[in-house]
Amino acid sequence: MTATLENAPAKGETVLRLRGVSKNFGAVSALTDIELEVKAGEVVALVGDNGAGKSTLVKVLAGVHQPSAGTIEFCGRQVTLDSPAKALDLGIATVFQDLALCENLDVVANLFLGHELSPWALDEVAMEVRAWTLLRELAARIPSVREPIASLSGGQRQTVAIARSLLLDPRLIMLDEPTAALGVAQTAEVLNLIERVRDRGLGVIIISHNMEDVRAVADRIVVLRLGKNNGVFTPDSSNQELVSAITGATDNSVSRRAERKSGHAQESHGGAA
Amino acid sequence: MSQNPSQPMLDRSDERVRHDDSLAAMAKGFIDRVRSGDLGMLPVAVGLVVISIVFSALNPVFLAPNNLVNLLFDCATVGVISLGIVCVLVLGEIDLSVGSMSGLSSAMVGVLWVNMGLPVAVGILAALVAGAAVGLLYAALYNRLGMPSFVATLAGLLALLGLQLYILGPTGSINLPYASVLVRFGQILIMPDWLSYVLALLPGLAMVGRGLRTRSQRLAANLSAQPMRALILKAVVLTAVLEAAMFYLNLGRGLPWMFALFVALAVLLNYALTRTQWGRSMFAVGGNKEAARRSGINVRRIYTSAFVLCSTLAALGGVLSAARLASSSQQAGTGDVNLNAIAAAVIGGTSLFGGRGSAYSALLGIIVIQAISNGLTLLNLSSSLRYMITGGVLAIAVIVDSLARRSRVSHGRA
Repeated sequence: MTATLENAPAKGETVLRLRGVSKNFGAVSALTDIELEVKAGEVVALVGDNGAGKSTLVKVLAGVHQPSAGTIEFCGRQVTLDSPAKALDLGIATVFQDLALCENLDVVANLFLGHELSPWALDEVAMEVRAWTLLRELAARIPSVREPIASLSGGQRQTVAIARSLLLDPRLIMLDEPTAALGVAQTAEVLNLIERVRDRGLGVIIISHNMEDVRAVADRIVVLRLGKNNGVFTPDSSNQELVSAITGATDNSVSRRAERKSGHAQESHGGAA
Repeated sequence: MSQNPSQPMLDRSDERVRHDDSLAAMAKGFIDRVRSGDLGMLPVAVGLVVISIVFSALNPVFLAPNNLVNLLFDCATVGVISLGIVCVLVLGEIDLSVGSMSGLSSAMVGVLWVNMGLPVAVGILAALVAGAAVGLLYAALYNRLGMPSFVATLAGLLALLGLQLYILGPTGSINLPYASVLVRFGQILIMPDWLSYVLALLPGLAMVGRGLRTRSQRLAANLSAQPMRALILKAVVLTAVLEAAMFYLNLGRGLPWMFALFVALAVLLNYALTRTQWGRSMFAVGGNKEAARRSGINVRRIYTSAFVLCSTLAALGGVLSAARLASSSQQAGTGDVNLNAIAAAVIGGTSLFGGRGSAYSALLGIIVIQAISNGLTLLNLSSSLRYMITGGVLAIAVIVDSLARRSRVSHGRA
């Protein structure tokens, strides 16, 4: 079994394009005229403060919410995502923040949940082989695929969740806060995993509050603020620029705190000299 | 063996995992599992040994072959109900109305067959359809209105009991004809000796056959396989135990056909739960409903299937108990039927908390429960004492389940 997909778009080709997507919940407009483009083999980070509309956007793309206006183009065709199953069928996979794994089932059962091979006489051997192959491609360190999920660490669970989203050969994968609950080593593993997924030619959307992680893997950083686009940045743009785009002001609590800190540092430095 | 030293087997490449291959290591693995709260069939084995020692000391008739044959007749009726309970417990739900449902179905058979003179098959079919309809109603209440199954089925317990009394009318009891096939099935029909010996060979043969096939498939796919010795040893022990049991039963009347039907249903349900997508979805929904929904499982349909299966099996249990007692009465399905069916599943290792269980837990659990009930009857204890003791046994079973679950959580086994 090879990692590359026959029907995968060539690297650099646009996988997903949103034009003027809006979403209203009653009188509240959660998203207004969102423009977003994701290419194959590209990691796009979606950042923004709480309530900026990141999760709403992910839910729109996962088929959970329907947009109020705007068009979604997937692999060059305009599509309507009216159910989670439709999004999955098209090749949009989502790794939710709470992972949504069944702790009482083993790794193989979780990977194939809802998509088991030969439903009337489960083909455990084929599923186990496929599970090992997939986990090996992701260089995942899972000791045994026949242990229940309950015995795995947070990073290993994240790996299983990501592997599961890859099982159906998606073209776009969305990760909601993949490193939020993880330790230093596990975070690094998940970031490596994201890079490997990108190298397989998939488009990746990652949501994170952690600027360090975002800078480490993202090719582009898209900032949302109050449900609107608020700039696209490259990973080497300064923290100052990013934070002011996220918070919407050059004079914000983050920059004030940074100033105060550096002021303190200089004072104490001067005192010693 | 196709193992290539330069390329380790797919599932043996992580050196952190201990692999229990030798028999001693497998025994150690078993002890580890039990210590971490994965009790499996251990409570049943311990329970049966204790029960046999206590009751045969108090009354030697308890272990007489013919008493055990009677015990198996009794097991079949409540055991079939318990199979349905396993289905709803796996989802983390409960059906408290199975006793009333079985009573209603036995009343329906009596009224339709004896009082109205319809063919017995029509009566049985009507009872099963009624069971399925009640299950559909519970599922609708749960899925559409969000009514907890605990409350819905508690209401059902009363409503179905009322319906049972209503259709039985003022006479309150209908005797079923003794010469009929149904009653003979419930009281007399015994398998020929030779057939019971042949059937007792089947589980061992199936185990070896499936084991060898899985083994060759796994080795061909470069996965590790269960060692041959362990497979053969298990099959030999299982066959020896079953053949010895058949020999002992055949010293008396022999193996009841009704019990064979119960075992066949248990085997069928076990296949459905462990080897089909439906079964996998059942355990997924029982473990994490939201995760199951997001992976594309139709959660409502799974709940519906479980409630319908449970009520239908309860109705079938009611038909069998009518056959066993040769009557449809107001007492059918009342008393401890409900709790015995639930206790059997729990004692056999199906968790009340959902996500864990097996069809065989009903099979083995009901033998424990009926052995207690049978032993107490032999001691001529009043029903007051019997209720107290059965209640105590149920409480102990649930306590064991809760403690085992806590231990599993702390050992990372969910």
